[in-house]
Amino acid sequence: MRASIAAFFFAVFAAACSTTEQQITEQVEQMAANPIESAAWQQAVDALAVIGRPAARQLIAQLNPDYYVGENYREFRDEQEKLRTGSARALGRIKPRGATGPLKDRITTAYTDAERIAGIWAIGEIGFVQAGVDALKAQLANDANPTIRLHAAIGLLKMDDASGDEEIAQALAGPDQALAQIALAGLGEAKHFGVPLMARLAQTNGARQSDLKQIMAQVGQGLVVQLDAEDPEMRRRAALALGQLGADSSVDALNAKLSDDSNQVRFSTAAALANMGQKSGIDFLFDAIRDTDPILRTNAVKFLAEVQKSSGAVETQLIAALKSEDALSRAGAAQVLGQAKVEAAIAALEQATTDAEAEVRANAAIALGHIGQSTSRPQLEALLRDSDVTVAYYAEWALNQLGNG
Amino acid sequence: MTRLFAALFVALLFYTGTDAAETPETILIRQTLGTDLSGHRRGDADLVLSSYDTYFVSYDAHGSSDPRAWTITIEGRDSFAEQLKTDLQKNRYETERTIPSIQVRADVATATTLDSGQIVDRQSGAVRTIYEKRFWTLFKSEDRWRATAVVTELGDTPAAAKKGSNDSEISAVLEREKQGREAGDAAAISSLFAEHFSGYRGKNSLNPAAWQLIFSGTEELEKHLAKRLPHVTYRINRQIVQTHVGARGNEAIAITREDVSIQHARGEVQHEMDRYVMWTLSKRDGAWKISNMLYNFGQPD
Repeated sequence: MRASIAAFFFAVFAAACSTTEQQITEQVEQMAANPIESAAWQQAVDALAVIGRPAARQLIAQLNPDYYVGENYREFRDEQEKLRTGSARALGRIKPRGATGPLKDRITTAYTDAERIAGIWAIGEIGFVQAGVDALKAQLANDANPTIRLHAAIGLLKMDDASGDEEIAQALAGPDQALAQIALAGLGEAKHFGVPLMARLAQTNGARQSDLKQIMAQVGQGLVVQLDAEDPEMRRRAALALGQLGADSSVDALNAKLSDDSNQVRFSTAAALANMGQKSGIDFLFDAIRDTDPILRTNAVKFLAEVQKSSGAVETQLIAALKSEDALSRAGAAQVLGQAKVEAAIAALEQATTDAEAEVRANAAIALGHIGQSTSRPQLEALLRDSDVTVAYYAEWALNQLGNG
Repeated sequence: MTRLFAALFVALLFYTGTDAAETPETILIRQTLGTDLSGHRRGDADLVLSSYDTYFVSYDAHGSSDPRAWTITIEGRDSFAEQLKTDLQKNRYETERTIPSIQVRADVATATTLDSGQIVDRQSGAVRTIYEKRFWTLFKSEDRWRATAVVTELGDTPAAAKKGSNDSEISAVLEREKQGREAGDAAAISSLFAEHFSGYRGKNSLNPAAWQLIFSGTEELEKHLAKRLPHVTYRINRQIVQTHVGARGNEAIAITREDVSIQHARGEVQHEMDRYVMWTLSKRDGAWKISNMLYNFGQPD
């Protein structure tokens, strides 16, 4: 009985494998049989991407010219081009890490532009692999074809590498409409990775601003969806990117993430909201700065400093916090003001050097050292005689940071 | 297996050259080609013959790089042995051999060699300096590689091709191969090939070192046909450019020029190409079988 059950399951398993193999074969033949970008070719690529990892091994194999010998022999180079291009496209959607190596070997000038572009696109979609970054940088630096360079730049952007940002900016600002469209599409595909560049380009008032704004809006919508991703890192990156985009339409979605399970997501969300001038985010960070949990305080300081440096949105609240009744708030605010080098806070920080709490005095001294104005010398010299040795130590350090004036 | 290891050990013992792409098989092939050279230098016919297959064929390229100029000079090892005996009695070989390229696919392989030095007439002392490029095909059986064919006097330029005949038997074999393709009849096609045939992709080159081995025997060809024929329909317009049958009637060369197109079952695309193909054929048990097939050599006129 057991043997027959085992045989039944084996037969079902074998049939499933055979069916998948047959599906892959059929789709591969359909790719070979239709022009690149035709509906039938695209349908085959889509079907292989849906099959996913079971198809990946064959798709990777089909990238290699040496695959087309023996039982896999195909005499027509055009057929190989269709298969190689389609395989790269499908792999870019399946995203097997191991595909980057074989893909990078197919983006040189020995291959057609269609094959190279598909390969570059797939490398970018698979994500950061050092070999992929190096290969795309080589294309970006050396290829004479601006389309290839632009695709390489977009691929790098998707791997969080800004080496190609200028290539993208030039394409967007240049007269070539085709290149500009590739740049816009690439920025759209790069999701959160493309947001800093888009935010920068949106401030330049260069060409194609309305197209850019449209792409930014689309990316914003995608990032709102990404806020619910399973991977906390993806949620965190989405929150930060939404903060950079500054779209009011995302505020509700961001507010909901202030109670996310992940600390990093909550703080990144708060920072994003604070950057957008939203009270909910600012309050979150200022609440955290006086939390008894040192990890939360450290996070609050880090994110408040980033918000202050990028938008200056919390400067008033930070200076006011130096006069808070809560010592942890005063100490944290001094720390942030120092890290963000807020010169407008010098007077308040100098006053904080006389605070009753040693931690506040020490942080104020460090902050004045970071800001580095020589006018703070008398207050810091006074701290050299502080009853708390830590305060005196940091006062001496801060004095060494000051200018000679 | 023990013989293989012993041969490998001996080869490694005497082999002095190194190459990053060296494998146990290439070392054994070097040993076979080295044994041939060594036998010539020692005047030892048995040693030379130990490197050759029973069905060995020799082609003379007449200083041309173009297979259209090749003629058959030796058909079978017995025939070679007769000629070798006379040759070694008459001449002393003071030659060296370098092996620039070796390609292996399963149990078939190709190699190119450059022989240089001098051949001295034992009686008159006359010296003939040689610098000769050769192309070899080899087959492995019982753990030993043996030469199945050699093309001697290869040149670097495509000297004028000889005008060949059109042998009706050879033409008929190639016509049946075409018909098999067009009918999608894998069994009909594979029955025309010798069991240990080799297939090459010529890459539009007349340089044998650039040719890529794509088939090793009929088993592999059958697998290919089983995968390929259900999905495409072939149309071949094959013209026999020339055929050449050896004096003993056991070996032949044919050159075809053909327009090949395929229509896919699952799509609209029709792929087409115009190519030259070189075929070598051997007569076994009264029937001609294709022993080599070189697709896309050189550029069409």
